[in-house]
Amino acid sequence: MKKKALAFAAVACSMAMLLSACGGSSSNTASDTAGANIITAYNSEPQNPLIPSNTNETGGGKPGDLLFSRLVSFDKDGKASNEVAESITPNDDATQYTIKLKSGWKFTDGTPVTAESFTKAWSYAANAKNAQKASSFFSTIKGYDELQADGLKGTEQLSGLKVVDDTTFTVDLNQSDSVFPIKVGYLAFAPLPESFYKDPKAFGQKPVGNGPYKLDHWDHNKEIALVKNPDYKGNEEVKNDGVTFKVYTDDSAAYRDIQAGNLDVMESVPAAFTKTFKTDKKVQPYSEAGSVIQTFTIPSTLDHFKNDEEGQLRRQAISMAIDRDQIIDKVLNGNATAATDFTSPKTPGYSDSLNGADNLKFNAKKAKELWAKADAISKYDGPLTFSYNADGGAKPVYDAVVNQLKNNLGIDASTNPIPTFQEFRDAVTNRQMTGAFRTGWQPDYPSAENYLWQLYSTAAADGKGSNDGDYKNPDFDNLCLQAAAAKTTDDANKLYQQAQEILLKDLPAIPLYYSNANGVASLNIKSGYAFDWQNLPTYAAMSKK
Amino acid sequence: MGKYLLRRILQMIPVVLGTTLLVYALVFLLPGDPVKAMFGDKPINEAVAAQIRAEYHLDQPFIVQYFIYLKNALTLDFGNTFAGQPVIDEIGRAFPVTIKLGLMAFVFEAIFGVVFGIISGLKKGKWYDTVILIVSLLLISVPTFVTGFVLQYLLGIQWSILPVTAGADPTFLDLLMPAMVLGSVSMAYIIRLTRAEISSNIAEDYVRTARAKGMSNGQVMLRHVLRNSLIPVVTYLGQDIGGLMGGAMITEQIFNIHGIGFLTYQSILKGEANLVVSIVTLLMLIFVVCNLVVDMLYAALDPRIRYA
Repeated sequence: MKKKALAFAAVACSMAMLLSACGGSSSNTASDTAGANIITAYNSEPQNPLIPSNTNETGGGKPGDLLFSRLVSFDKDGKASNEVAESITPNDDATQYTIKLKSGWKFTDGTPVTAESFTKAWSYAANAKNAQKASSFFSTIKGYDELQADGLKGTEQLSGLKVVDDTTFTVDLNQSDSVFPIKVGYLAFAPLPESFYKDPKAFGQKPVGNGPYKLDHWDHNKEIALVKNPDYKGNEEVKNDGVTFKVYTDDSAAYRDIQAGNLDVMESVPAAFTKTFKTDKKVQPYSEAGSVIQTFTIPSTLDHFKNDEEGQLRRQAISMAIDRDQIIDKVLNGNATAATDFTSPKTPGYSDSLNGADNLKFNAKKAKELWAKADAISKYDGPLTFSYNADGGAKPVYDAVVNQLKNNLGIDASTNPIPTFQEFRDAVTNRQMTGAFRTGWQPDYPSAENYLWQLYSTAAADGKGSNDGDYKNPDFDNLCLQAAAAKTTDDANKLYQQAQEILLKDLPAIPLYYSNANGVASLNIKSGYAFDWQNLPTYAAMSKK
Repeated sequence: MGKYLLRRILQMIPVVLGTTLLVYALVFLLPGDPVKAMFGDKPINEAVAAQIRAEYHLDQPFIVQYFIYLKNALTLDFGNTFAGQPVIDEIGRAFPVTIKLGLMAFVFEAIFGVVFGIISGLKKGKWYDTVILIVSLLLISVPTFVTGFVLQYLLGIQWSILPVTAGADPTFLDLLMPAMVLGSVSMAYIIRLTRAEISSNIAEDYVRTARAKGMSNGQVMLRHVLRNSLIPVVTYLGQDIGGLMGGAMITEQIFNIHGIGFLTYQSILKGEANLVVSIVTLLMLIFVVCNLVVDMLYAALDPRIRYA
């Protein structure tokens, strides 16, 4: 019996030794890199291989953006300038573009970036056989529809792309699109080296790009380490030696690491810290109006809210009965900015004083008058429901909206929470909503077109796009089409502003606020800490020195 | 003994089959379409979605999907995740971390639980017995995430004694605080269990008899009181191993530990049936084996129990 008791103790001891041995062997990796100017950044594990056209979420998008340079790049305010492109020249009606490349650009494997690097990559992305998740971005290029058929090999090319010589190619579009030179700044439009096509799977694990950084290593579920690309000579000024994206299980854990100085930057603030992060002495807080707009949509098919005089009066009344500043202050802890248009302050061409912007200002008295005027046309006191997904923290906002409408207009408003985002979006896309519902937009590229055409054009209604309220106004469509055919971005932006003034009158959706770009950085970051138009940290500009 | 062992091992086969089928069905019944979710709020290209569905057999009826999984699993091919990673690699990365954390928590709760339980049980009513009782009551009533957050803030950030988070490839030191948090509740239960057993056994007739026969106090304690008192503790510990392996989700989140709990949570969110089923099957095997080991240990601890 004694032997057994001993054996028991021996097992326990050896287990403890085994564990301590595990601990002793590994060294502290932090000390190895302490001297180098490496920025560590918060991330989640990419949900797809690191192929630009197959990357449609931020876990892969953040490293992807730094690994691949596109034809144009955006500065932190969203202003586009030529990167790999020497020039992007439209024809008279902006249906064809001639793109000339700068010479001397190289991928990090030493091969040159040529016109074919772009055309083959775009065709690969558009070809349905290759199952690339961002393929629909190429749908405006001629030949896209042919590449959606069955029985493709995967190597068929877009007929709208023609290589003229090594550094020139032309793009034929299905329709006028003055925003095309901005769209090509989206990650999916990145060039790919020839080695990609030999083994796309292997490439997805060890991508080779032409961006300001190159991949050092990718340890799954641990980190993606990028180091400065010495051959890069684009617009971005790289102020550090590398960026390491660390995978976190939870944003609270990441916040704690920022406080302790183990992590340098993250682009969100966990719910538990939203009240305190601005006064936290252990972090550098950031909170400014960002590119995400939050709205709610009242379907244009809803009785009493159709796009006629009565509907417009009611929509304006509702908009004016909401005290946005109070909601931002009391519910969102000041981490948002009241909306004044349908785009965002980070969008080129933004203005806070468009005609009709008054409709977005709190004015309880006028709201009552407008509602009474609408009642004179046809009496209506509700009910009006507000649906939102309950898993995204929208509850306090919609409780506040409903209360304000009850108090300021005296109508029968109520909320209708739907458990998950998936179920909520299903109900919206299947047009099962019988009242107002939460909508919001995060842009793919910094252009008013991305906010307006995708959300409010007739072409995007009836389930063919993201016009969830089925708003249709030919005047609005016309202005957008004119803008799409405009010669310069400034001309286009002026037309988009006019288009917005129609929206401010019709209010197909009612803008509430721009979500702030919130983030924190550790005290180790000494310079360059800011957030860009995508609400992401300016990784390349940051430095610990 | 051998026969008994064989029978127990054979029993595992229907258990494995039943569990995999049940879990596969549950993942299949999750609301929402995992392929649609991959596109986020971007327009869905139906041709691309169809390609992805075909690749992962998601276009097949449920039972066909299940048998494809089972057939491949027999050749140790557990399929790929939606990110293109082999399931076996994902588990291979996460599992060693969980085992390390689980064992550390296990050793922590076993040693401290039993030692404090014995001290408490032998000296009932002393001031340190009262202290141990109050602390264990506190640990049982406070949820793990509170213990975790408080310790993380105090030990990690305020006093900088231990690492704040563990990260991937954690060291012994990285996992020390998480293991303490993870093991704390079970430790408190073990303290109370040991204390109650010891204090009741110490008053038993056979202890008095042993003393009357002139055995030394140490012998009486070790061979009679302790051995009898530990039987329920061993049962508890054995069942707890399974719990430590699978139930570390909250601790793993707080301390950024990339273990099985976090992997399970992520794969359920993404609707990755292959991954969920593989993990659950593995956890279940661990659970069954642990129970078997516990049953075997009974025989060692209690001569009255014999398996034929």
